[in-house]
Amino acid sequence: MSASYAAVGWNRQKKIYDWLIAGFCTSYLVLFISLSLVFNEQVTFETLLIRSTSTLAVLLLHVILAIGPLCRLNKKFLPLLYNRRHLGVTMFTLSLVHGSFGIFQFHALGNINPILSLLTSNTNFNSLSAFPFQALGFLALVIFFLMAITSHDFWLHHLSPKVWKTLHMFVYLAYFLVVMHVMLGVIQYESNPVFVIIIFAGATTLVTLHLLSGIKERKTDNRQFALQQQGFVYVCGVKDIENSRAKIFCIDKERIAVYRHENKLFAVHNVCKHQGGPLGEGKILDGCITCPWHGYQYLPQNGQSPPPFREKVSTYDVKIVDNKVWLNPAASAEGTERPGAEIKD
Amino acid sequence: MVIVSIILIIIAIYLAAGFVFAVAFIVKGVTKIDEGAHGATWGFRLIIIPGTIVFWPFLLNKWIRASKTKEE
Ligand code: HEM
Ligand code: FES
Repeated sequence: MSASYAAVGWNRQKKIYDWLIAGFCTSYLVLFISLSLVFNEQVTFETLLIRSTSTLAVLLLHVILAIGPLCRLNKKFLPLLYNRRHLGVTMFTLSLVHGSFGIFQFHALGNINPILSLLTSNTNFNSLSAFPFQALGFLALVIFFLMAITSHDFWLHHLSPKVWKTLHMFVYLAYFLVVMHVMLGVIQYESNPVFVIIIFAGATTLVTLHLLSGIKERKTDNRQFALQQQGFVYVCGVKDIENSRAKIFCIDKERIAVYRHENKLFAVHNVCKHQGGPLGEGKILDGCITCPWHGYQYLPQNGQSPPPFREKVSTYDVKIVDNKVWLNPAASAEGTERPGAEIKD
Repeated sequence: MVIVSIILIIIAIYLAAGFVFAVAFIVKGVTKIDEGAHGATWGFRLIIIPGTIVFWPFLLNKWIRASKTKEE
């Protein structure tokens, strides 16, 4: 969280995650290059690098964009989310190699500046079959670059979570640009439609996953709470909440997580102070609510991060009457201690 | 073509200025605007260089404001 910065906040899980990324990428590149050499002996080293890194980057980009909705659909995918930013930086590095070699091969041999040549040598903007598809790739690369250089938490704090999040939402524009870059590029130099089919399948999968998880989230958010008493609303039965876990309820457009910890129920605002992760989808570790996204922790009784950290979330009142859980959606100030509700069975 | 060249040159100058700023910023400025950077490693300082080169006017503004509040 925010004690003192290090370049990379590695721990055991993140190291395993990073070794898996590195192992997968190396195997992919080796396999791609060997197979290309076997089946196509005239291929040059530059072309091999351009094609192996670009296809791997696009594959990783699909994984990155699928992780969010997959986690919302099924908690088993949460470990993938934990270190998604390293996946993103890896994807950027691969695109950078692809883009640099692309520029080098097609634009660095003349005597005008390669970037200028990239942007101006082809101006067929209203032709589909000769469209300057490389400019689209360049624009996507600029977006990935801005995301990669701001991926450290230092930037999240200083640009403010809102600006940071907005910047990172541009990944969807970048994705669209990449799809167009591949589609328009491929029809210019390839007769084989396999690239187009693969990228089309990828895009369809991503759109479907986003729709499914959106529908699921909608359902939780639109639930109506009929029973109300003195500001409290009836949300569920005591047995519906597992120990050290939570259920999320959306009341008056605010999402609240009700946690069960050592035979008591506590309620906190569902939104993590780090990047807005869903606290109610995490669990209690070492007596703290632990965010499923990057592991920020909060004490269930007061919503405060344990010292030396200083993050705080709002807390809420809960009560139990006849094994029924009642929640008061009026938030207490961030970090306010609440007694919780004791479970008697 | 000329317009694109001019824009590219302006961007290059902007980034060059950012580079000069980044050196001063990671040595001194970063600890002024962020107490979390006090015990920070050199790895951290290096890793924020690219972002500093791009977002330098914003950090410069923060740095100036931080030193003003200290004087008061
Ligand atoms: C400066 C930026 C970029 C330039 C100059 C560039 C250039 C190129 C070129 C010249 C090709 C055709 C290569 C060939 O003859 O095989 C190509 C294809 C492709 N590019 Fe890019 N590109 C850029 C950015 C990107 C980015 C950011 C991505 C995705 C992450 C990407 C993904 C692809 C893919 C998947 C192909 C088709 C496979 C291949 O032939 O390599 N490109 N690009
Ligand atoms: S820890 Fe990153 S969003 Fe919660």
